[in-house]
Amino acid sequence: MPQSSPLQPVAITGMGVIGAFGRGVTELDRALSEGREGVGPLTLWESTIQGFPVGQYRGDLQRDLDAIAGLTPRIRARLSRSDALALVAANEAVMMSGLEPSQGGAYVGQSVCGTLTTEELYVEARRRAKAREPEKINLSGAFVHEGANTLDRLAETWGLRGPTLSFMTACSSAANAIGLAADAIRAGRCHSMIAGGSDSLSRIAFNGFCSLKVVSPDGPRPFDRDRQGMMVGEGAGMLVLESLEHARARGAKILALLTGYGHSCDAHHLTAPHPEGKGAIAAMREALAMAGLQPGDIGYINAHGTATLDNDRTEARAISAVFGEGNVPVSSTKRFFGHTLAAAGGVEAVVAVHALQQKKLPPNLGLRAPLEDSRLDLVTGTRETPALRHVLSNSFGFGGNNAALVFTEAI
Amino acid sequence: MGVVVTGIGVVSALGANPAAFRRALLDGTNACAMHEFARFDGSVVRAPAYMAVPAEPEGLIEPRKLRRMFRLARMSAVAARQALKHAELDPAAMDSSRLGICFGTSFGAMEPTQKFMDSWIENGEASASPLQFMNSVHGILASQIALDINATGVNLTTAQRDICFEAALDTAVGLLEAHRADVILVGGADELTPMLHEFGSHTGQLVLDEVAGLDPWGSRRGVVPGDGAGVFVLERDDSPRRALARVSATRIGRCDTGGANIATELMQSSTPDLLTSNRDGGSRCARLNDKQEAELGLKGVSHRGNFGTWPAAGAVQFAANVLMLNNGEFYVPLASGKPAELKADAPKTILHNAPSISGNHAAYLLALR
Repeated sequence: MPQSSPLQPVAITGMGVIGAFGRGVTELDRALSEGREGVGPLTLWESTIQGFPVGQYRGDLQRDLDAIAGLTPRIRARLSRSDALALVAANEAVMMSGLEPSQGGAYVGQSVCGTLTTEELYVEARRRAKAREPEKINLSGAFVHEGANTLDRLAETWGLRGPTLSFMTACSSAANAIGLAADAIRAGRCHSMIAGGSDSLSRIAFNGFCSLKVVSPDGPRPFDRDRQGMMVGEGAGMLVLESLEHARARGAKILALLTGYGHSCDAHHLTAPHPEGKGAIAAMREALAMAGLQPGDIGYINAHGTATLDNDRTEARAISAVFGEGNVPVSSTKRFFGHTLAAAGGVEAVVAVHALQQKKLPPNLGLRAPLEDSRLDLVTGTRETPALRHVLSNSFGFGGNNAALVFTEAI
Repeated sequence: MGVVVTGIGVVSALGANPAAFRRALLDGTNACAMHEFARFDGSVVRAPAYMAVPAEPEGLIEPRKLRRMFRLARMSAVAARQALKHAELDPAAMDSSRLGICFGTSFGAMEPTQKFMDSWIENGEASASPLQFMNSVHGILASQIALDINATGVNLTTAQRDICFEAALDTAVGLLEAHRADVILVGGADELTPMLHEFGSHTGQLVLDEVAGLDPWGSRRGVVPGDGAGVFVLERDDSPRRALARVSATRIGRCDTGGANIATELMQSSTPDLLTSNRDGGSRCARLNDKQEAELGLKGVSHRGNFGTWPAAGAVQFAANVLMLNNGEFYVPLASGKPAELKADAPKTILHNAPSISGNHAAYLLALR
């Protein structure tokens, strides 16, 4: 029998974030408030594909890692860029929560993982083989390729004893990881979880999205009539989730509640969404049902809004089908940090919780003229919303993989 | 816990379907053979491996769908169809939103990933192949199955090195218990590609000299690799379909200290007749298993000497475990191509213990219905 009654909410007691806007919730807040876009050139490697900006983190990651108390030189020596992003965001979340997390676990959504490292090794190995260079490349660094590497390093840094799993459902990975982590807490598997997502830029992702002709030369303009596509980004967004009892017992400050999680598959196409947004509708409705809410209760939707032709059209249809036309404020924040791929649901969960805390909606940066066949209430400038109580965040991925999360104000 | 297995599908070096797999286990077939692997410099090496036999999709998957599938996707999709057929479950006859997929794969789509990288290395980045990119995402196996059977429910892929299948199983059980789905196809698959073989050879993880087969109780630096896929129909125990076995409990956690706490915890609820494990003869894995088995007071049986080892090989061990329970049989495992000196009665309860050298740890209890 399908789940029909609302489930026990899970407390969010910490959050951390890193991306093209900088590092930390404070820098994210500044970027959102000032309307500072994260569009910039790709400098991580020399690409022959020119003219497409990316959402690259431009801070000093090595310096950022210095702030992590439990990070030993041995752990540090075994980090991919994606792992490092995850650790920095997780550290902020753990510090904010004040939790000693070792009795808990971690669920992290990923797709690129250590690819930036392994593709370099592969390209160099192929080059040397072709040039008949006798010296073989040392491939021992390839172990960072697997998503599990992030979880292993998180577990080592904080001595986690609970379940640590990597979920890989493309661009909905982090949202699924967060939803499943809450399920694990509800099921009594552990009292706390670090949950979110991380992904770094990589040649595979950048070249791949360029090959699909879905990358914009002037950065993303979500829900714009003349949008030309997405911007590949990188980053991490992490939450500390706890059972309400556990959070209250230790007197933790509860930032917000995770009240709903919906998940579905279009089973329609490997990359294109269902044209009517069938799976997206199912995910949003399931998340609402789990939270025990009606569509009218939601005061803001942080859309997946990649700015590709297909995504924005179908997402707008799906939102209208669930919430009615123009009934709820919507924005996609991807011009602030790009499409952070598997991390998107984590970074945008932080955006959504922050909006809930500040009672302030982030704008749909880059919008000039809204797409023609939708009547979404797109947030064009920062909007104060004192009565905001519930927000929804969408994440959709390749394979028609859809996830929606509902966050509720902590009372 | 009220979750049962109602269907099995398996494609491995031991055969292209569950019947062939069972027969090979009963006969003690050694599937280890010398195979050729191309190297980056164009040379070819011969090394021992347990390569899965070609999947047999006839009568299960339409040819037009197969054209879009690479080798691992075919194996996985065929195993999924086998499992549904075994369970006598027609996906078209059920509410598609209640049919989910939960898949474990550590390496994912390596063949398309390599082809994608080759496409830009050889032809320039602007000429990268979009088709290979689409197929390179980790969740492609679960997505292809969903497309094939129109499963619109949960669709998840876990990647947790040596315990990726056990992680998918644990996740699927949780989803069924939470009523997020009524039926879940849980599976595990990984393939051995030339690139993986070269990486594994360079890092000393693979045996390169000619050997009769993998010895799960041995302790050498490298292992004899293999590949394959196992997929199972999982349902709550109120299903009208005949159950092959019951998943009594699952656990995932960390074992950085080498302790067998998770398995010990499961043993408290039920004393198993048989312990199976993820022993693959690799030295670190062997040390971890030895330590934990001493703690548990049981000697673990692993059939990786029969079908090889790879991160998601837990799915194929799960198939062997379900078959042993359901058919009242015990399959004598192989060590270096010969039957191990190990005898046991047909088990009624199996504890599977899978410590991972990365510090993760999984265990499950499987019993007769």
